Amino acid sequence: MTLPGRDAAEADALLTDRYLESLLAADDRRAADAPADASLDRSVRDAATRLRRNLVRVHPSFRFEERLAGRLSDVARSMRLAPAAGGGAIVAIRPPRPEGPAGFDPLADPNDNDDTSARTRPLLIGGALTSAALSIAGAAFVAWRRTRPARSPMARAARAAHAERLRTNLRGRVG
Amino acid sequence: MSARSATFGRRGCNGMARPVFGRVSGQGSARARRGAVTHLDRDRPLVEAARRDPERFDALYRRYLAQVYSYAYYELGDHHEAEDATERTFLAALSNLDRFEERARPADGDAASTFRVWLFRIARNVVANQRRQKRRRPTLPLEAAAVVPDPLDVERGAALRDEAAEAWRAVGRLPADRRRAIVLRFVEEMSTAEIAGILGRSEGAVRVLIHRALRSVGRDLREESR
Repeated sequence: MTLPGRDAAEADALLTDRYLESLLAADDRRAADAPADASLDRSVRDAATRLRRNLVRVHPSFRFEERLAGRLSDVARSMRLAPAAGGGAIVAIRPPRPEGPAGFDPLADPNDNDDTSARTRPLLIGGALTSAALSIAGAAFVAWRRTRPARSPMARAARAAHAERLRTNLRGRVG
Repeated sequence: MSARSATFGRRGCNGMARPVFGRVSGQGSARARRGAVTHLDRDRPLVEAARRDPERFDALYRRYLAQVYSYAYYELGDHHEAEDATERTFLAALSNLDRFEERARPADGDAASTFRVWLFRIARNVVANQRRQKRRRPTLPLEAAAVVPDPLDVERGAALRDEAAEAWRAVGRLPADRRRAIVLRFVEEMSTAEIAGILGRSEGAVRVLIHRALRSVGRDLREESR
């Protein structure tokens, strides 16, 4: 994208962002819509009001809420080491790690822990396939060149010298 | 570490590259001497209480449970999986609370919570990991999320459910980063700065993501209504 094109996209995005701010604020005033800049794309505005109306927060069940609260409370209790005899200090220890695959760090940078693996895998497979295809094509080309009679006298002389050298080497080994 | 790098664009476990401001207080004076900062953060009292006594984490849990659950549900499209992701998120947050660093700016206002951004970064990683494991994408129409204004007005309720399902189908067709940004903006009502902190992108990039997502959704909804 050219620089002016990028600037235009950012300017449009800024307009949209301002509209979203006012749309979310309009909810507090119980207004259905919010004033928008005249240059704001109509379809963007319609999509925003539609999503505002339809994407609502989903609440978990009360049973789940209380069950997880109990589990967290157990873990929190296990983090507090009972004060040693004669001592009043509370020492925090690490609770058991939440279940997950080995090596998974929930605090890792999002860029390192994204769906990117799904995106990079085809690239890796594609690279391996391309490499294999190039190797096969290279081998086929060499085989073809070797069976094809040389056109130039220099090439014929070079091949004759090479064949002679091979024959000499072979005789030397056998003899 | 230079004074500049200590105060600008620091990336810790929160990973939020943003300027931070010093405000020396009695309690934070040792940190301030080291060039660290104290901040304005809505959840500071609750976080500090939970650090002193892990059982006080309950208040943070109650405050953010519905938000984290809702985010997981929109991402995974299944109540059981959303519960699983929510549980993992809060357990990870509790056990790693000592790694959390505040990063709020005075410019963010009183409602700013870098704890929420940190928590959602964990949720985002947990959900992404779960999606990878299950190798599935959300395809549910999210009927449970549809607004039902009046239980007696069945016709209107059905129309709204259809409308919600249509909207969710359009959002579900978006690429993952755009879909996440839309859910965080509309469902969780997060600011661009918060979403940038969660997705690990600049605010400008998030604005463009949301703008493009809305254009795609608008196009899709127009085509569906024809």
